[in-house]
Amino acid sequence: MKAPSNHKSHTVILSLALAILTVLAMFLCATMGVVDLDMKTLFQTPIFWNLRLPRVCLVVIVGAALSVCGTTYQAVFRNPLTDPYVLGISSGASLGAALAILMGLEAHLFGIGSMALVSALLTILLIFKVASIGNRMHTTSLLLTGVCLTFLITAVISLLMALHHDKMESIIFWTMGSFASASWMDVWIVLPIVILGIAVVLYYSRDLNLLLTGSETAQSLGVDVEKVRRRLLFFTTLMVAFCVSACGVIGFVGLVVPHCVRLLIGSDNRRIVPLSIFAGALFLLLCDTMARTLIPPNELPVGSITSLVGAPMFIYLLYKSKRKL
Amino acid sequence: MLSIQNVTYSYGDKEILHDITATVNDGDFCAILGPNGCGKTTLLRCIANLTKPKEGSITINDTPVSTLPPRIMAQNIAFVMQHPQTDIDFSAFETVLMGRNPYQRRLQNESEQDWSIVEQCMRQTNTWHLRLSTPSQMSGGELQRVMIARALAQQTPILLLDEPTSNLDIAHQFEIMELLRDINHKKGKTILIVVHDLNLALRYCPETMLLHDTKLIYKGPTREALTPERIHEVFEVEASIMDDYLKIDKV
Repeated sequence: MKAPSNHKSHTVILSLALAILTVLAMFLCATMGVVDLDMKTLFQTPIFWNLRLPRVCLVVIVGAALSVCGTTYQAVFRNPLTDPYVLGISSGASLGAALAILMGLEAHLFGIGSMALVSALLTILLIFKVASIGNRMHTTSLLLTGVCLTFLITAVISLLMALHHDKMESIIFWTMGSFASASWMDVWIVLPIVILGIAVVLYYSRDLNLLLTGSETAQSLGVDVEKVRRRLLFFTTLMVAFCVSACGVIGFVGLVVPHCVRLLIGSDNRRIVPLSIFAGALFLLLCDTMARTLIPPNELPVGSITSLVGAPMFIYLLYKSKRKL
Repeated sequence: MLSIQNVTYSYGDKEILHDITATVNDGDFCAILGPNGCGKTTLLRCIANLTKPKEGSITINDTPVSTLPPRIMAQNIAFVMQHPQTDIDFSAFETVLMGRNPYQRRLQNESEQDWSIVEQCMRQTNTWHLRLSTPSQMSGGELQRVMIARALAQQTPILLLDEPTSNLDIAHQFEIMELLRDINHKKGKTILIVVHDLNLALRYCPETMLLHDTKLIYKGPTREALTPERIHEVFEVEASIMDDYLKIDKV
């Protein structure tokens, strides 16, 4: 067996290496773009400082947050198919954004984003309220409530779009997710919540392992299941709400990055959580850079790039690991 | 000392346990016997504080279990459940290591001591050679022994087991019971075990709690608990004792 000390230092070293890699990749991606300038001129332009840099920062933050949330949900719900949007937070945010677009708030600095955030937070409150019995939270009810609410809200959005043809395009574009309008303001709003949320998940990462063995077993092994589950869900949903409000719905990252990490390093969440921070960040950075550079000067929806790149990658990993068994 | 005082439990309108009072002394090896649905598992779950009785209380050394936080509970009572999880991807070693959770601080890694306790518990249950296997690669008996190893790694004074032998062939049933007797003798661990095989109880467990129709009808030495009359009353079968064994027939 491996010595106990090795195990932790491996993860720390790997995380550090990935952190450095992420910073380098951010810098590299920020130098690439439609406007092709040499380095020296580029550093003197606002294109670099006020457009590309905040954009890559937001991408990295959201990528990390989504994959950590996915990891957490998959353990808390003991269901490999859960992703950060499963509780309906994304549809809640979309409804807020759709309403903001219909009311013509696009021009306002915080118009769409703040409406999306408020309605995402209301959705969370509603779901937690419905799925709590006394002070206990039933995970299956929580999942089902989330799925039902997603259908309900999606239906409302469809109706809104049907009644307002002229705004249809901008609503659809918002829901597909994009970092095109990322600003430093977005970064400063989302970053603290994401740091806090990830810290909470890291703090409880051993409990995630125990939760995977079932709530009664976890309880009998000393986990305060109700408390831990409640805190994890609270902070992760908060992260998701802020991310969705800042950049719309970006699928696939939160579902598949945790699984890829798991296939590569095993099922110990004390390693999966730190590594999925960087795996998610790097993956989304790659996808967003492709989205904005593949067919200049147009931009592709980043959500479709994540699936186009991610799905084959995941299937390959799955295939490879199956052969190993 | 584990003390069960006037415990009543009901699920909806249906009473599962009715006014159970019993004391289990330190170092006892006690079988919980009774027909299906008489509340044996519920009693264990109440003792482990996984569910709360409607009335009455359960105390360990005069402290009610309902007041103990999960972490302290897990340092006092280990629970081997009826159906071990088979759909998870943790190796046997990682599984047993989880038994050390109640002693570990957050963000801290396992100590050398945790590792040596895990190895010792796995060797004791004859599972050390399985340490890299996942549940899906193990047989029912092997998995059951891993679960017992995890419970041992919790180093609790009290061990609860819910039908640990129910899916095992006769040789493995003996193996598990011998292991438990060994633990009971050498470490003085208090063991409460739900079993269905009356002869296993007779052979290995000096004490018995006999449950019937939500009530505790006998608590005491197994040999005195299992009389032909009582077996007839509880299980509705004819039994006779032959050379320390029960011969059981249908009515």
